[in-house]
Amino acid sequence: MTEPTFPTEPTPSTVPAASTVPAAPTVPAAPTVPAQRGPAPAPPEQPRQSLGGRFDAWLARGIRNITTRALGPYQTAIVRIGFATTALLFLLREWPNRHELYGPDSPWGFDLATRFVDDNGAFTVLLWSDSTLWFEFVYHLALLACVGLLLGWRTRAMSLLFMIGVLSLQNRSIFMGDGGDNVIHLMAMYLVLVRCGQVWSLDARRRASGREHPADPVGIVLWVVLGLTLVGVVLGGKLESPVWSMFFAGMWMVHGFWWLVRRHAPGEPRIVSDVIANLVHNAALMVIMVEVCVIYGTAGWYKIQGSRWQDGTAAYYPMHLDYFSPWPEITDRLSGSGLLVLAMTYGTVFVQVAFVFALLNRRAKNVLLVIMMIEHAGIAVLMGLPFFSLAMIAMDSVFLPTAFLLWTDGRARLLARRLFRRRDGDGDGDGDAYADAAVVDSVVADVTDRERRQPEWAKER
Amino acid sequence: MRPTDDTRGDPPTETIELGGLSLWSRGIIALSVAVLATYAIWHLAMVFFFVAPSNTVSEEYRSTVRGYMYPEFEQNWKLFAPNPLQRNVAVHARVEIDGQVTDWVDLTAMDIDAIDHHPAPSHADQNLLRRAWDFYTGAHDEEGEPVGMRGELSESYIRRIALLRLDESGVDVRDASRLQLRESLTRVPAPSWRTEDFDTATAYEELAWWNVTRDDLPGGGE
Repeated sequence: MTEPTFPTEPTPSTVPAASTVPAAPTVPAAPTVPAQRGPAPAPPEQPRQSLGGRFDAWLARGIRNITTRALGPYQTAIVRIGFATTALLFLLREWPNRHELYGPDSPWGFDLATRFVDDNGAFTVLLWSDSTLWFEFVYHLALLACVGLLLGWRTRAMSLLFMIGVLSLQNRSIFMGDGGDNVIHLMAMYLVLVRCGQVWSLDARRRASGREHPADPVGIVLWVVLGLTLVGVVLGGKLESPVWSMFFAGMWMVHGFWWLVRRHAPGEPRIVSDVIANLVHNAALMVIMVEVCVIYGTAGWYKIQGSRWQDGTAAYYPMHLDYFSPWPEITDRLSGSGLLVLAMTYGTVFVQVAFVFALLNRRAKNVLLVIMMIEHAGIAVLMGLPFFSLAMIAMDSVFLPTAFLLWTDGRARLLARRLFRRRDGDGDGDGDAYADAAVVDSVVADVTDRERRQPEWAKER
Repeated sequence: MRPTDDTRGDPPTETIELGGLSLWSRGIIALSVAVLATYAIWHLAMVFFFVAPSNTVSEEYRSTVRGYMYPEFEQNWKLFAPNPLQRNVAVHARVEIDGQVTDWVDLTAMDIDAIDHHPAPSHADQNLLRRAWDFYTGAHDEEGEPVGMRGELSESYIRRIALLRLDESGVDVRDASRLQLRESLTRVPAPSWRTEDFDTATAYEELAWWNVTRDDLPGGGE
């Protein structure tokens, strides 16, 4: 900053952003104007545009982006898939121990848990009844919600059930959890507000097929069932928290409203509703991204203050704690080298502290992301913390580049196609080559199409 | 696959010009932007001051921050920080049956056995006793007196775990009249490539005897 630009520039009052978009011949919600498709023409770049003008243009672009689009469709989908998978694997792993951890046989008994939760007010449906049947119902409902969320079937409803399941189990026995459970707990709540089923979901496939029933009978049934359950629970005096009651009732009414609007008010009310949903999505996405930064920032900055992280031996100690060394043959060998332990110790701190700032540069971010994921994969095995590591990797993936996610998508489709064909046994080479090329082409076309539609700033990602 | 909107043939909102919407609509959208931005920033500020070290702001607004963050947004990311734990902590238990005191049983060793060479250790082995003991020590003061309700609950909890584990290891806990726990602390030896050297002998700390009640026995609450 060489000159005081602020006071000297003529600063026009901040006009509502919308009005600074160049006046295109707009017809609100005109489904019949094909010329409308595509991005708004970029504001003409004037070389000597005033700072205020440029700020206005920047603001207008920003507002346009957060209102008209639910950003990061692929990133939010991979986060959804990641957390649903982690929780699903965890619940399957703990299935034989479920009674001891969260159920009737737990030493953290129903009486103790009830007193604890009465005091701190945490949300859990598991303390509504001490019957084994109820516990089994909730545990298996949580399992099903994981599958539903993973597949993206009725994503919104499933994300709510997923959150109810996760919170119920964890808050029932809060002292069973570790850092991984903590991440899943937070993300389960944030994901409820994220449109995380835009791609890679059964919902998306159904919408794309165009064979959807306009009245959406399945949605109505789901909505009625969940609504009746909610009414029963509230009237039965089970849901004591006014905040949760209002939240659930609000979500329920919003979805009824959304159905009405789509069906009977396809014009402006529908657009405004969609814009608000986008805004909520984008706000929640921002919260998730900042939360990741907070996690790594805290983990890194507190480490800097520790003498063991300073003298380069910290990584040695967890590898020698009985609870976190399931493979002593490997960890003993790794920790036998002072240089290696120093590298691991300093490397961990560097990466965690640098993460937040690396986000400012696309390449640095991607490099750090790879290192983070490799480190978590190592922790999964060496420290016997696979679910913690999976949760962290799922969380990291919110920062994966779109190009990479699309590439993975294409590869996966190709692979699936090949496997599927092999089973069918019609191995005529030429046709296959064409088919493969078609898959790749469609993915590439998809990328370029998106690239074209994306604003400048988003192309970097 | 392209991001599809909930549209069924309607034009995606992506192509909408905000400027073309009515004043009412624009007002609602502007209000939503303001409300959501404010709330998101508020939420993130609370998260920040909750995880940050105690500071000028978080001390001033301690009750606001804690009131907002507990119980659902509670979080702790001091992962192995500021220093990783450098001691192996184990919990041992013994009971008195008909005036006879049994041998100490290493409850933690059962966990370690289950974790050893397991690719995906269960929370029941890795967290249950370990965190229960953290809870117990955290909810007791220097003199070993329970602090508030948490202290009381943590005692019941650790007693139940101990009796459950003893029962599993073949001790006839149903006839036990009293229970005693001890903590065993063993420092992890300094790395061989360091000049440091510290005492790695195991130190024990015994707790007072507790009377065994029916509630604390496995399946006893019923």
